[in-house]
Order: sequence, then C-alpha cells, then structure tokens
Amino acid sequence: MSAPLVLSDTVNLAAAVVIGMFFGFFLERGGMGNPHKLTGVFYRTDFAVPKMMFSAILVAATGLCLLSDLKILDMSRVWIIPTFLWSQLVGGALFGLGYLVSGYCPGTAAAGLASGRLDALVTMVGIGSGTLLFSVLYPWLEGFYKTSDMGTATLPELLQVNHWALLAIVYVFAGIMFYAMERHERRRQASMANQVLHAAS
Amino acid sequence: MNKNRFWSPYLAGGGLGLTLLASFIIAGQGLGASRAFTVAAGKAMSAVAPAYTATLTYLSKYLERSPFSDWTFLEVSGVLVGALIGVLMSRGFKIRFDRGSAMSVGMRVMTAFGGGIILGFASRLARGCTSGVALTGGAQLALSGWVFVIAMFASGFLFAALFRRLWS
Repeated sequence: MSAPLVLSDTVNLAAAVVIGMFFGFFLERGGMGNPHKLTGVFYRTDFAVPKMMFSAILVAATGLCLLSDLKILDMSRVWIIPTFLWSQLVGGALFGLGYLVSGYCPGTAAAGLASGRLDALVTMVGIGSGTLLFSVLYPWLEGFYKTSDMGTATLPELLQVNHWALLAIVYVFAGIMFYAMERHERRRQASMANQVLHAAS
Repeated sequence: MNKNRFWSPYLAGGGLGLTLLASFIIAGQGLGASRAFTVAAGKAMSAVAPAYTATLTYLSKYLERSPFSDWTFLEVSGVLVGALIGVLMSRGFKIRFDRGSAMSVGMRVMTAFGGGIILGFASRLARGCTSGVALTGGAQLALSGWVFVIAMFASGFLFAALFRRLWS
C-alpha cells in the first residue's frame, strides 16, 4: 500500500465528512465545546486544551515519522503547512486574543454549537465576518501577508537533525509540561478543598 | 455541572491524533476549520453583493467551487454531527448562552461576535487556525505550526492578565 491514497473526488469528499465526525466527536468528548474549559488554560484553572492538543500532536507526529520511514506514507505527496514567519507570528498572537475573548476557536465553536451553545453560533458568524474583513483589506495587507516566505520549512530540516531526535525533544518538553500541569491542578484542588473545610468550620 | 462528563484529555487527544493521522493517509492533508468559514461567508457575500465580491481577489480561491465539493467545508459539517453524537451520548445537550459568571447575555453576544471577528481575521493572516496550522503543522514538525502555537498561548496568557474578569 502506498499512502496518501489516490481516491476519486466523491470518495475523498465523503471521507472528509467521516474524518470530520471523528474530529468533532473527540473534541466534544475532551470538553473542547465548553468555553470555560477552553479558556481555563489562560487562567491556570484547567489545562485540558494543552493536554489534549499536545497528546494529539505527539500521536500524529509519531505516526508520520514511523509511516514515512517504513515507506508506507509518501510525505512528498502530503500537503505541508508553509511557513510565513511574520504573518504567522502576528496572526497567532491576534488569534490568541480572539480565542480568549470569544472563548472558542473555529473548530471548537462548531463543537460548542453542536452542544446547544448559542454564543458559539454568534462566534461562528463573527469568524465568517472576520475572514471577509481580511478579504476586503487584502490589497493593503498583501505585502505583509507574503513577507518572510520560508516554504515548507520543518524543524528537523532547519536544525539539521533526524526527525526522531526532534520528536524526542518534543516528548521530553510535553512530558515536563504535563507533569507541571497535573501538579498545579492537584495543588489547586487541595487548596480549594481546604477553603471549603475552613468555611464549614 | 458534572465535571466527569468528559473524557481524560489525554485519551481524547490520542483519538484526535489518530484522526489527524488518518486524514494524512486518506486525503494527503491534515485537519482544517477556518477555511470552511471563509467558504461559507464568501458564498453568502457573493449572493448579496456579487459584483463587489468578484472584485475581491483574495476570496476567489475560496469561491472556485460549491461549498459541498469543498473538502474542509464538508469536514466541518462532519464536526457538527460528530460533536452532536458526543454530547447526546453524555446527555450534555442544552440550548443556552454559555458565559462568564460576571457577564450579561448582551455582553456575551458582544464578546462572542467581537472575538469571532478577531479569530476570522487572524486565521486568514496566519493561513489557518488551531486545526490547520497548530495541530496539522505541529504534527508535521513544521515551523509554521510551532510559531503559531507559541504566539497564540503567549498572547492568550498576556491578555488574560489584562482581562481577568472575562472568564475567571
């Protein structure tokens, strides 16, 4: 077998719906339709977002390294996300503000709407409007949008290390982060339980 | 609210990672989300103001085909169905405006809409969102994904310190 699979348009589009269903199911099951859980990371009350996000990245990245080394997956036929350093740095920072204020991001807003949240629907209308705003302002933004084009730059290429070496660094980084988050959440729960005890006595 | 309604984030994240991997194998691309909003909003705008919309060069690549033959639009439609299955399974479905404890419904509509506009604009500037750049790029060990993730969390922490009363 050689992946990515070569499918007819119709089959590929049907696959999109099924892949999306799994995506939405896992988002909802992880609590990613809930704006309190989504913004909890920024107030250090709930770290579900980074825990889920980095678990997903580690699983998928390990799978990609393994499948490409085994020549099962041809990475030259996979669409690699291109890097435009400055627009992605500024875009990412703006995105963090929008995520904090709305309590969602585009995919999680869809999960929020599916659980009956009308505020998620309002956010979705806002996202659509925001993309139109960008389209209208594009003639003035084009220069910045196209600056610092680094193509399909990946970290192993830039640092000239094997992808497994880089993945090992990501595992260590994520492990330390997960440990610190678990410890912080345990301490917070303990101190909240203490406060309840004091209030009761 | 029952805190145990959700799965462990590590388990849900593992499932999400396998879904992302399946997407690479089956479709040769990762997951996405913000593109679907551009396609839908662009279609709506071109129905209302076709002549003006045709002058927007940036939008043309999103309007080449019908939303129902756009991969990401269909994928996000699937997200709605999959999340609905998840929420019905755990009896969490309830129609409401979810908001911070100190926030009125009117204020919530404003933060949801205003925050949404920023999200839409930012995801076009960054060429994608948490799904298309952070998750997909992150898993590819692409520089784009890691730059976006770091900028997003750093900015979120910074603004949370300024807007303490929004959600806490």
